[in-house]
Amino acid sequence: MRALLLSLAAAAVTFAQAPDCGLLSGWTAQGEARSFDADNLFEYMDGNAEGYLLYHFVRLRGVNCQSGEDTLILDVSEMGNAEWAYGMFASNRDPRVAVEKIGTEAQIVPRRAILVKDKYFVEIGSSKEQPEVLRQFVRAIEKRIPGTSDPPEALTWFPPEKLVPGSVRMVPESVLGIGALKRGYVAEYAGGKAFLVRETTPASAAEVMNKLRARIGGTSPVKVADEGFEAIDKYLGRLCFFRKGRMIGGFTGLADGADAAAIAAKLAEGVK
Amino acid sequence: MPASPSAAPVATDQLTFRTLGKTGLKVTSVGFGCMITSDASVIARAADSGINYFDTARVYQGGNNERMVGAALKGKRQQLYISTKTGAQDKAGALAHLDTSLKELGTDHVDIWYLHGKQTAAQLTDDLLEAQQIAKQAGKIRFAGVSLHTGHKEVIPAAIRSGKIDVILISYNFTMGTTVDELVAKAKAAGLGVVAMKVMAGGFRRMKEGDPNGAILKREGAMAAALRWVLKNPDIGTTIPSMTDMDQFEDNFRCMPAKFSPEDEKTLAAHLERISPVYCRMCSLCAGTCRKGLPVSDLLRIVTYADGYGQFALGRERYRELPDDVTSVRCGDCSSCTVECPHGVHVARRISFAQEIFG
Repeated sequence: MRALLLSLAAAAVTFAQAPDCGLLSGWTAQGEARSFDADNLFEYMDGNAEGYLLYHFVRLRGVNCQSGEDTLILDVSEMGNAEWAYGMFASNRDPRVAVEKIGTEAQIVPRRAILVKDKYFVEIGSSKEQPEVLRQFVRAIEKRIPGTSDPPEALTWFPPEKLVPGSVRMVPESVLGIGALKRGYVAEYAGGKAFLVRETTPASAAEVMNKLRARIGGTSPVKVADEGFEAIDKYLGRLCFFRKGRMIGGFTGLADGADAAAIAAKLAEGVK
Repeated sequence: MPASPSAAPVATDQLTFRTLGKTGLKVTSVGFGCMITSDASVIARAADSGINYFDTARVYQGGNNERMVGAALKGKRQQLYISTKTGAQDKAGALAHLDTSLKELGTDHVDIWYLHGKQTAAQLTDDLLEAQQIAKQAGKIRFAGVSLHTGHKEVIPAAIRSGKIDVILISYNFTMGTTVDELVAKAKAAGLGVVAMKVMAGGFRRMKEGDPNGAILKREGAMAAALRWVLKNPDIGTTIPSMTDMDQFEDNFRCMPAKFSPEDEKTLAAHLERISPVYCRMCSLCAGTCRKGLPVSDLLRIVTYADGYGQFALGRERYRELPDDVTSVRCGDCSSCTVECPHGVHVARRISFAQEIFG
């Protein structure tokens, strides 16, 4: 049993290091495999590398696969950790198209598939529309990638009521366009946008709250979690922010009549 | 409750404009690179403040970036110039990209449509140039452009020679010194508009957390100095620094009327002094100059993994992927080094170090 497990683990690592076209019968590698890291990624995707580096890209291994006249471009990117990989996936998925529960998540459109599992972000581009082939590849790849298929914990903290499906994404810096909110998650709701940011300590979170009050101006205190305030901002609309321990969260873009504090409190309730 | 701005107001009388070559477009000298912006509010505020040039690309954020830019600028289109890019390899693919871009941006035309990330003259194919002409005739684009991060010496002359490119979008920053100024001047003289990107040397964002250079660069003044360095070149039509938040926007906005000062010069010189012995600009001017045939820039990059980013294992892995006839060479066997880095990198010392730690 131990030998089998070790062999499976070795196969999984091998796939992440050298993506294999032979996962589906009839497909073979075409040309040399490719490998890029943070310093030369621009040679492969000149003009878009920074979009990967933002999510702590470590390296990419890829290969082109061929079956008859059809070609697939298969790339596996290793990101800094599972959270960064999810962030990369979420920023690249089409929010108008449903995701599928393959690995952590996958999205398949007629000529493109993306998958996230653990710290790996997988992209497959197709020379023609063949979603079923892409789906089969994604399923086969998912089995060969080691690690967790659980989404980042923060995703479960957003209340499901009125949540726009597939809208939760990780923002690598400047959440809501505010530099003090360094990194976190945002989610679209019918009637507002929610966010959650984890600070290092409750004290540093309290400091950020003070900066936010000063920045936004005209705030009124509200009783939500450890502390909270509401305000109306020209660009963020009607908002309510709170701090719960080292977490900062809240809603923006709330409707005029909405009970901002109650809506924010619901979000705070879910934060572990 | 009265609405308050989430940021300090900026003085719109500080806007400065330049003409983008023969296009005649009067653009603010600081534009907006939307590539990594994740919140539409920053783009909307920049537009409200008078910034009038916004740049995106089909490929950014898997296509989501164009949609966000379109939403942020909705209702303001007539006062603004928007550029996007295609990385397609052929005419049909490029034109299909353009139609998608227009749909996502919510506009019937873009002002500049770039061929994205060309590194060689050969990549400016007749097919792609024809796609731009077709798009122009159809009224879907006003001007044709090409963007390049490397290969300035080859691609800029090719763009001029083609007679079909109106604007070039180039990486241009203080770490490059005056190495491409002549090419920029030639492009401007030929009537091309020149847009500068990577104006803060890209490396600011690429630095790993904890890198001491990052802290130095990010301290007040360093990034603004880098932007003012670019703006001091009158041949640059506009710049597109990436911006993710209101603070960055305000800092960049204030650079427009400001002059590059001796203080800026000192800040950037100090930074260059720090990085010069080790920082490879990937200009490729050293290619082919090692008498032993070593791939100099690759080796410099690999050794930086170990001592720059603290990723020894990755550096060693990359080193071991090099062919035997490279890894078997020892710099110490040569009495003198034939490689001279124009930017002052201590090449022999750095590569010897790589051989010592990885070999």
